[in-house]
Amino acid sequence: MAASIAQFCVKFLPKRLQLMHQQTSCVCAFFSSSSSLNQPKQLKHVINYQRTRAEVARALRKKQNFLHHEMVDKHRASPLQSGTEQVSEEKGEGAPREYRYVMPEFLPNPDFQYRDKVLEKMERRDMLRRRAVIDIPEFYVGSIMAVTVSDPYSSGKTNRFVGICIDRGGRGLKAYFVLRNVVDGLGVEVMYEMYNPTVHSIQVLRLEKRLDDQLYYLRNAPLEHSTFSFDMQPVTLPRDVPVPVNTTKVKLNPKPWEYRWERFNLKGIEPLPLTPKMEKGIKEHAKPWEDYDLMLKYRQTVNEDEERSIMAEVYQENTRIDAGRKSSRAVLRRKK
Amino acid sequence: MASKSVMTLGVRPLSHSFIGSTPSAIYLGTNSVCVQQVRHRRFPKFVVRPTARRPWHVRKWTEKRDETLDASNEQFVKEVIIDKYANTASSPLKDGPWERHSYLRETRRSGVLALKLGTLLHWKKDGTPFTVTVLQVLDNHVINYVPPEVYATYPSHNPHQGLRFGLQVVGSLSCDPRQFSKPYNNLFLKAGVPPKRWLTRFLVTPDAAIQPGTALDVNHFKVGDYVDTQGRTRDYGFQGVIKRWGMKGMPKSHGTTKSERKMGATGGGGDKDGIWKGKHMPGMMGNYLRTMYGLKICRINTRYNLLYLAGVGVPGLPHTFIRVSDTVLPRKQRTEEQMSQVSMPTSFPEDLVEPLPEEIFTDDVFQFTEPSLQLEAEDS
Repeated sequence: MAASIAQFCVKFLPKRLQLMHQQTSCVCAFFSSSSSLNQPKQLKHVINYQRTRAEVARALRKKQNFLHHEMVDKHRASPLQSGTEQVSEEKGEGAPREYRYVMPEFLPNPDFQYRDKVLEKMERRDMLRRRAVIDIPEFYVGSIMAVTVSDPYSSGKTNRFVGICIDRGGRGLKAYFVLRNVVDGLGVEVMYEMYNPTVHSIQVLRLEKRLDDQLYYLRNAPLEHSTFSFDMQPVTLPRDVPVPVNTTKVKLNPKPWEYRWERFNLKGIEPLPLTPKMEKGIKEHAKPWEDYDLMLKYRQTVNEDEERSIMAEVYQENTRIDAGRKSSRAVLRRKK
Repeated sequence: MASKSVMTLGVRPLSHSFIGSTPSAIYLGTNSVCVQQVRHRRFPKFVVRPTARRPWHVRKWTEKRDETLDASNEQFVKEVIIDKYANTASSPLKDGPWERHSYLRETRRSGVLALKLGTLLHWKKDGTPFTVTVLQVLDNHVINYVPPEVYATYPSHNPHQGLRFGLQVVGSLSCDPRQFSKPYNNLFLKAGVPPKRWLTRFLVTPDAAIQPGTALDVNHFKVGDYVDTQGRTRDYGFQGVIKRWGMKGMPKSHGTTKSERKMGATGGGGDKDGIWKGKHMPGMMGNYLRTMYGLKICRINTRYNLLYLAGVGVPGLPHTFIRVSDTVLPRKQRTEEQMSQVSMPTSFPEDLVEPLPEEIFTDDVFQFTEPSLQLEAEDS
């Protein structure tokens, strides 16, 4: 019965996803197939049809004052138009598939309302110009980094901070990362904008990944996990080695915590002692359907072709910059 | 009791009509509107939504298509259209170029129709970040100029302005003429340009009149100028009173019965039997004309015709069309030196002695090709 309902649901997916469904031939697990005799009472998720209908109505309502981005691109490419040059697409050697994880800030906004080819091209140009001036290395959440910024009030006019990267985000020129360290027994976190001109250098001392995307739970972990010496020497990795994954499991302090870490499905912490209330809260706030929500993933990612051409352009430009830049880098990494 | 008309409430400096597709909020003439008496509020957010089409608008779109065309004929027709508009400047039958005057303090130049692309982050040379809004001036041409004596006979003319201003019609985004109606296509005969998707008007002084058919691009402005941007705000649709007017609503618990997001009291009291006109209530939010005044042009890209304006608040979502014109703010007017540099009435290709660089910045904006900034301590 679940299978037939799932087949019925597939009809309402957009065409591209329908074809994808046929190819994979999996049964969409929107409905649980277990019997209700032995399981506890299932928590119902009621789909908010009202909001979806309103969104559809808004999308269909006649627009007076703006154009769809495809129409804008058509006008830019039109033979009747002269005086404005067209943004050229890069057609050359493509980037390796993992490049979008090396430089995630180059990926554009997945929301189609905010997409514009010319704006993205200009922003990428400015970002690559900045990258030609200072070296912004490859790093991941969990890498230990040292950042030097301009500080007019310190002797030597610069300020150097070393820490573990606990978060990385932002898009385009607003890209940021957060470093955490313990100074004089006090945890300190600093957010740095990657393309800020007052940042003089970004150096990766130890390149590694962790099991989670964000490490904010270090705030509720013993301070030894966040302590890194300011005199730490850079660690060089051998060539063509995949980025090492640090699988340490951090044991969190006893409660109180800053967030309800038991609900975050964290992999980098030791199993937490759960009370019945915590377990109930986990079940209530869990969203297991998000693993199967194709539309959510579709809306959160950029079209693969566009992503490929953007990354190809970035990759070419970066290899050109790297070739021109002198050696003596802390971490030597070359990707084929 | 005292009552004021809509006319005095709706005053905006140089607020002109949009010749758009459907109802737009315009500066109404005395003989084409019903004057509504409203009470002044502390926050005059009175939203005017006229519903009647302007009487001088021509029908724009047409549904008729030529079904008899096959693929090769279709291709031929497209080539004919492109050829027709390719060589517009070199006809000997056209009248010669108009006289050019110099820029005075009383001069009002034409503006430009731009496309809002989005926002970016930039930094100044002292390290402070600021947001820039990027606009693209795409495919603009001047369509028509109406001298002040003729404009004074138009129903949209405001008698308060007298014979100071002429009307400059500017259009943007060339299109295939087959999708438009005949009267709409005839608007573009004088200019000899392809019919445009968007049209707008600017009030200009006669010394800044531009000949129909002239192309406008980003060099109409210079880096360091201040401009006003006018456009339609984002459309939120029918919204409740909390989002639309910022009311507080009521607590979500502690016994509130079905009234968490309601308006509550409707006011009036002893003064009025009922509700005052203009009471803030749920309704259509957004999609009206708004102007952002005095934004500085901090950067220009001549290759892609981009304007980088320092600031946010340019109305609308990305790909909204925006009217950009010289600012009316008194403290942001040009200095004597800047007045001699102004392209009057606009910038022509023959004016440029040497080709302009692709990117032009103001002095205080950090260029990403420069080395990293070293901040200096402020002297106390």
